[in-house]
Amino acid sequence: MPRLTLKGLSKSYGPVKVVDNVDLTLQEGEFVCLLGPSGCGKTTTLRMIAGFVEPTEGSISMDGEVFSAPGAVLPPERRRMSMIFQSYAIWPNMTVAENVAFGLKLQKLSSADVRDRVAQILKVVQMSHLADRYPAELSGGQQQRVALARAIVVKPAVLLLDEPLSNLDANLREEMRFEIRRLHDEFRITTVYVTHDQSEAMATADRIAVMNAGRIEQVDAPHLIYARPRTRFVAAFIGRTNLLAGHVANGEIGLDGFALPTAQLGEAVPDSARPILLSVRPQSMALHRSRPQAHDGRPVLSAVVAQRTYLGESWDYVVHPQQSGLQLRVTAPPLQVHEVGEAVWLEIDPQQIAVVA
Amino acid sequence: MTETAAILPKAAAEEARRPAWLRRLRYLEPSNLLWILLVAALLFLVAVPIGKLLIVSFEQQGTGAFTLSNYATAYGRARYLEALANSLMLGALSSLLSVIFAVPMAWAVSRTDMPGKGFTWAIVMGAFIMPPYLGAVGWILLAGPNSGFLNQAWTWLTGLQAPLVNVYTFFGLALVIALHSFPLIFIFVKSALDLVSSEMEDAANILGAGTSTAMRKITLPLVWPAILGGIIVVFLETVALFGTPAIIGIPARINVVTTQLWQFFEYPVRVEVAAAYAMPLLLITVGMITVQKLLLARKGFVSQTGKGGERRPIKLGRWRWAVLGYCGFVGALAVVMPLMVLLQASFAKAWGRGLAWSNLTFENYAYLLFRHEMALTSIWNTLWFSAAAATAAVCIAVLVAYIVARKLVPFGSALAFLAMAPFVIPGIVMAIGFYAAYAAPPIALYGTALIIILAFTARFLPIAFANSAAAVRAVHPEMEEAARILGGGRLRTIARITAPLIIRSLIGGWLIVFIVASRELSAAVFLVGPRTRTMAVLLYDLSEAGNFEVLAAFGGLLLALTLILVAIGMKLAGRDFMLRRN
Amino acid sequence: MRGMSRRGLLASAAIIGSGGPAMRAAAQDLPAHERELYEAARREGEITWYSGQQSAETSEAVGRAFGERYPGVHVNVVRSTSQVAFQRLSQDMRAGVAQCDVFSSTDYSHSTFLKQQGRLMPYTPRNAAGLLEFVRAAGDPDGHFHIFYIGVHLISRHTGQVPEAEAPRSWQDLLDPKWRNKLAVGHPGFSGAIGAWAVLMRKLYGWDYFTKLEKNRPQIGRSSIDPVTMLSAGERQVGVAVPSATALLAISRGNPQSLIYPTDGTVVVPSPSCIQKNAPHPNAAKLFMEYATGPEYFRVTRRYFSESLRQDVPPPDGAKPLDSIKLILPTPQDIEAGVPEVKEQWRDTFGI
Repeated sequence: MPRLTLKGLSKSYGPVKVVDNVDLTLQEGEFVCLLGPSGCGKTTTLRMIAGFVEPTEGSISMDGEVFSAPGAVLPPERRRMSMIFQSYAIWPNMTVAENVAFGLKLQKLSSADVRDRVAQILKVVQMSHLADRYPAELSGGQQQRVALARAIVVKPAVLLLDEPLSNLDANLREEMRFEIRRLHDEFRITTVYVTHDQSEAMATADRIAVMNAGRIEQVDAPHLIYARPRTRFVAAFIGRTNLLAGHVANGEIGLDGFALPTAQLGEAVPDSARPILLSVRPQSMALHRSRPQAHDGRPVLSAVVAQRTYLGESWDYVVHPQQSGLQLRVTAPPLQVHEVGEAVWLEIDPQQIAVVA
Repeated sequence: MTETAAILPKAAAEEARRPAWLRRLRYLEPSNLLWILLVAALLFLVAVPIGKLLIVSFEQQGTGAFTLSNYATAYGRARYLEALANSLMLGALSSLLSVIFAVPMAWAVSRTDMPGKGFTWAIVMGAFIMPPYLGAVGWILLAGPNSGFLNQAWTWLTGLQAPLVNVYTFFGLALVIALHSFPLIFIFVKSALDLVSSEMEDAANILGAGTSTAMRKITLPLVWPAILGGIIVVFLETVALFGTPAIIGIPARINVVTTQLWQFFEYPVRVEVAAAYAMPLLLITVGMITVQKLLLARKGFVSQTGKGGERRPIKLGRWRWAVLGYCGFVGALAVVMPLMVLLQASFAKAWGRGLAWSNLTFENYAYLLFRHEMALTSIWNTLWFSAAAATAAVCIAVLVAYIVARKLVPFGSALAFLAMAPFVIPGIVMAIGFYAAYAAPPIALYGTALIIILAFTARFLPIAFANSAAAVRAVHPEMEEAARILGGGRLRTIARITAPLIIRSLIGGWLIVFIVASRELSAAVFLVGPRTRTMAVLLYDLSEAGNFEVLAAFGGLLLALTLILVAIGMKLAGRDFMLRRN
Repeated sequence: MRGMSRRGLLASAAIIGSGGPAMRAAAQDLPAHERELYEAARREGEITWYSGQQSAETSEAVGRAFGERYPGVHVNVVRSTSQVAFQRLSQDMRAGVAQCDVFSSTDYSHSTFLKQQGRLMPYTPRNAAGLLEFVRAAGDPDGHFHIFYIGVHLISRHTGQVPEAEAPRSWQDLLDPKWRNKLAVGHPGFSGAIGAWAVLMRKLYGWDYFTKLEKNRPQIGRSSIDPVTMLSAGERQVGVAVPSATALLAISRGNPQSLIYPTDGTVVVPSPSCIQKNAPHPNAAKLFMEYATGPEYFRVTRRYFSESLRQDVPPPDGAKPLDSIKLILPTPQDIEAGVPEVKEQWRDTFGI
């Protein structure tokens, strides 16, 4: 039985539908990220899971028991969940230890047990030495660790995180990202993590649910979300890509100015005549000064450099294939320098091309 | 449907068969019940008295039949209309004088390097906590045309018989009122000035404007909404004030709305006419708020420009002493001089005999404390009425503020509106509404402590609400959600998380309500019975008992009590707890 | 209830037993008619007195003195303003409870109203025979209510600023333009006594008296006591219709004032007291009536500068005996019909 099931979940405020027919299932111990741009409904979904928001349609159940349905919402305190908030919500009137102990005391544990478990979890998050400090005396990262400890120490059935790293500076964010994953690996708590930052999602999640305009567009493992986007939105939102519209006919995909045999693609394309949308990542193409040896029959096109931007780790070129109206972004290593207007050869790796639709 | 039933566990499936409302009941939060109680409380405290006032104004005495004759009576005499006009003029003059007192002081404290800012704060605080009717008595002692200390000193200095100042004039009345109202404008304007960035003035300076031009053209216009808001509050307070006009206005032969209302309460009591006569006060209030909205609708003001930029004190040079002198002057008028004469009188055998060892006595205090029939009772009444009213007001206010801030119920803003409504209802109108609604059977609260406590609660609910709303807003909702998701119910969360976080602010709010209630006269004077007189009412009664020495001593007791409370407040809720603007 | 009265009896027996000869002597000194009532009253043990007369301090002193004279009979003094006392009595009546034995107010109409309603117990105290004649006459001929308190209102002057030779002698003298800005007076809207005084002035001289008085710009206070304060302060020089008791108190405190008994009549306002028909302690109430019309009562109240209404008790220090001066007093009809009228006329004339 799945730990958490969202079934046809919707939430409307007046005529505005913020969450639209969301289905999602989490197995026990799974870590799922809700990823999407701001306003896509991911936080509302999370707050419905927590019991703070009543759904307009659909249901949420945990271990088979319905927790939320329209008109019948189990209050948050009876859901055996815990949550980490964007603002951390560390209570300023309690010390670090008191903050962490709060949930345990509500579970009516003996004070010895409470003490032991608080000490243990503070050690895990490396905060033992600050147990008696008040939150005002802590840095942002330290407060974040307290929030983590407070949420994990109660051994929740589901852990919810709402943009937990958005208030941290870049270096700390990266560190905490690994910390969160490390804690998950250690405790295997079923986790729903909301973020708009795809690298955060990639680094932490077992599966990512990409949301847009209230709907889930795709749920998949992080590398598949990147390599095999199934909607135009996912392809464009995750990483950078070139979206190419084409047409399938006679075992070939006809594109503007050139064609690809369907057999060369990494996934099967049904051979019926229809329009098709391809996602070609800039990394899946290469530029050459002279015509390369076309191994495995990879397509090679002659092109002209139209624009270039140096990004530090790589060059970002925009090239213009001859006899085509296309503009393609291509990534190249720092030392591979081409001038604007230079004629180049463009090599495409069809294995990495994703069929979006 | 069958599929759903299969997914639902057994208990839930049973639930589904029950009527919908019963199912909802299981998930009902206690807050919904509380909401109903609060609506009832607010209706009882605010809507019913005002509604009753409105209804009664159209009722015939005795029969309750519909009639317009109350309005005909209330506005049928030139004298009554004149009182109305007097009130309006008095309100305007007092507001103007208050602005003249308050704005330069606020500017000096907020924007300049004037020395003695602590002293200026003390003056404002002193003027704020001194009950206005006590100041009025002080000013009678100071500026009675023949006997006042100021006039006697003037005669002694110049040999002129004509008095220098006469408190028994329209201007005298307005001045005395303004001297105890200006702190309201000060608080408003100072907090607005604190938000004006120095860069605003720098920008004017760099274009060639001097300090005073920058102040006139840039700084003051930016805080205009605060000044206007202050003017409106002072105007409304003045129009609704009873004590000072009764003490000074009657000898000065100035009849105002409140003293006229009092006349309608003489035997036989004509509540119906009083209700009809109170209506313009409500209309004026509504009108002023509308005017304020219209005036401020278009321009951007400091409240919108936010906190950006740094703030530097303006260097005044030699002028700093002149500015301090002005503050000292206002302080002398508002606090020091009235307080000195009152203290002198309270320790005098006969205050007319002036300062002399042979005139010194503790008898006035001893009489009040040990032999007066009502003094101790009234002190006790004051303490517990005020405490009860403050507790009730803060409890209701914090619950409403919480429910509104957390959007726990639909139409929460209606609750907030009701809680804030008494702000625009003059205290005396409120009291008459309470009298009309609850004095007579079947409720028959006349002469009980309860009716006074309820009236105080309603009257000061807005203060408590503004305070509580600010306190609740300061607590991020996630603070509570964090506790709930860890297993704390709504009530436990409030007790363990929210309450500790807002308790300091609430104590401050409680004390403010307590202090203003302990000196409230306008509402109390219509509602007290023989054994429920408060200090303010007894002080008012003493003012017609012909013994200024005892009156002054009682005023001294009231002030001592207030000072103790203020000291407690500063200790518990911060030094500026009374002058903070929420 | 029986337990209570027995305990009261035991207590009084104990007091008499331990109090020794002096106490017993005091009881034996009582005139026969009082002793009889006292025996009955002692069984009742207490009496409740609603009063709007006198000051609180004086009322309490009367209660104490009564208890000393008649050991074992305690007076519950419920002192308030007259209107409130009457309101309290009305509430008792409506609720059907009998709490009040003796009711005293400064408003004549209260007692006439109660008499009309058949609420009063007629009783004419023997001691009333010793009251001044005009006082006796102002009481109810049928014995339903009696007078043992009157307000006496006259003129007072600031002795430092108004020498005796220049002082006004009568109410008429106050209209002299030389008193412009020098007079002080109360307000009939606030003070019943001032209302009564205004009714009498109107009766004697017509309302014209007040239009002329207005030309002298008197300072208007609220209570009839206010002018005393104004004189003490030196704010005004002549007090109009001031109550003698308050003025005498101020004089005793060293304020430079002196009373003037107007030649056209000192205003007295008789204030009646009555026993309730349903009085829970009827004998004690009768005894109280005897006491309050007898000399002991006035010996106590004159210490607080209340007027003596008996020939055998001298007036308070500084006051003239009332039977030696010309008095004018309003009839009950004057008060009932006249006061509401003069209030309105006053406001039209004085603008306040």
